[in-house]
Amino acid sequence: MTVFYFAGALFLLANVVVALARVLRGPTAADRMLSGELMGTTAVAVLLLLYGATGIEAIIDVALVFAILAAMAVVTFVRRTWPEDPAVDNEREQT
Amino acid sequence: MHPAEALFDALLLLSMVVLAWQGVHARNMFRAVVSFMMFGLLTAVAWVRLEAPDIALAEAALGAGLTGALLLATLGRLKPERRGARLQRAAKLSMLPWLALGLAGTMTLLAVTLALPAPGLGERVLSAMPEAGVDSPVTAVLLNFRAWDTLLEIAVMLLAVIAIWSLGQDVLASTSRLPAPSLPALVRLLFPLLVLSTFYLLWRGGHGPGGAFPAGALLAAGLVLALLAGARVPERMTGAPLRCALAAGLLAFIIIAVGVMAEGGVFFAYPPRHAPMLIAIVEIAAGLSIGVMLTALFLGGEPTDTQGGST
Repeated sequence: MTVFYFAGALFLLANVVVALARVLRGPTAADRMLSGELMGTTAVAVLLLLYGATGIEAIIDVALVFAILAAMAVVTFVRRTWPEDPAVDNEREQT
Repeated sequence: MHPAEALFDALLLLSMVVLAWQGVHARNMFRAVVSFMMFGLLTAVAWVRLEAPDIALAEAALGAGLTGALLLATLGRLKPERRGARLQRAAKLSMLPWLALGLAGTMTLLAVTLALPAPGLGERVLSAMPEAGVDSPVTAVLLNFRAWDTLLEIAVMLLAVIAIWSLGQDVLASTSRLPAPSLPALVRLLFPLLVLSTFYLLWRGGHGPGGAFPAGALLAAGLVLALLAGARVPERMTGAPLRCALAAGLLAFIIIAVGVMAEGGVFFAYPPRHAPMLIAIVEIAAGLSIGVMLTALFLGGEPTDTQGGST
């Protein structure tokens, strides 16, 4: 059973790597932020699988904290960082 | 160790190195900030893999909550031409010397770790646990055996707030971005959950991973969310009440540290029969105070300009 949990966690971590590629490529700030959020959600799932594999109960608390704080980054992003005019998206790169 | 387990660790490590590299060398600031936040996420998973859930919890609460919010808000305040600016000097440095430096640093750390006395202080902590007043060894070290360190950490946080507040006014009013009509509803949903989790972690600190720092970070996340949704610090709270809340943790800590001298004559030597209660008081006061201090850091200045509204 432990092997199953680790195989699942490994698969999800591979998804994180794919999301990482989107964080690096962009092209806009919103793309990066959203793939960051996706990584956060995946990390919650990875943590719960790791709990299944190890049985350390505190891991659930870590997952809880990540899940409850997931909105934090995206709310700050929308309220503080996101450009007022999408046409002048300063994060766009010439790649 | 099963191959899937080893592969998981290898992939985790590789992603962390890539993200750390991006965090320092990314071509634009936003990319660097997102990379840093994701690095924090994977660091928490790495701590879990190292069976250190206490550190994972602190990393999760501070990294996912306040650090990201502070960095993103700072990015929003920078002038547009600086936000997209390439970090010219950093980008020009080639990768090779950094790789060598990193390798040398890791080797040194490894050598130092191997040279340390093998069981460390763990055994001494465990043998002193019956007198600690709590069941969690980590909390026992933080709030009893090495309470002096924690006291100074809280003092440093308070100093940071004072330093930031002395630089200027709060910056909330100056930044209004897109209208976000659904945000207050979301915050009304999340705020009670965050406060509940704050107290859950405070309670949990007595017998497992948890405690004042992660709990304070969750409370701060709730307050910052409320501020982002348009809430303002209520007028009757500004000035003396707010300053008292900021200093409450440090004050409670010092009063108890000096107070126990009446019984034992030693600074911070809790009498064992009162230890559980004293630690609980310190933990709650410190947790709430840390929450307010972290929110104050986000405010970026003492709230003076209040035009109605309430939290």
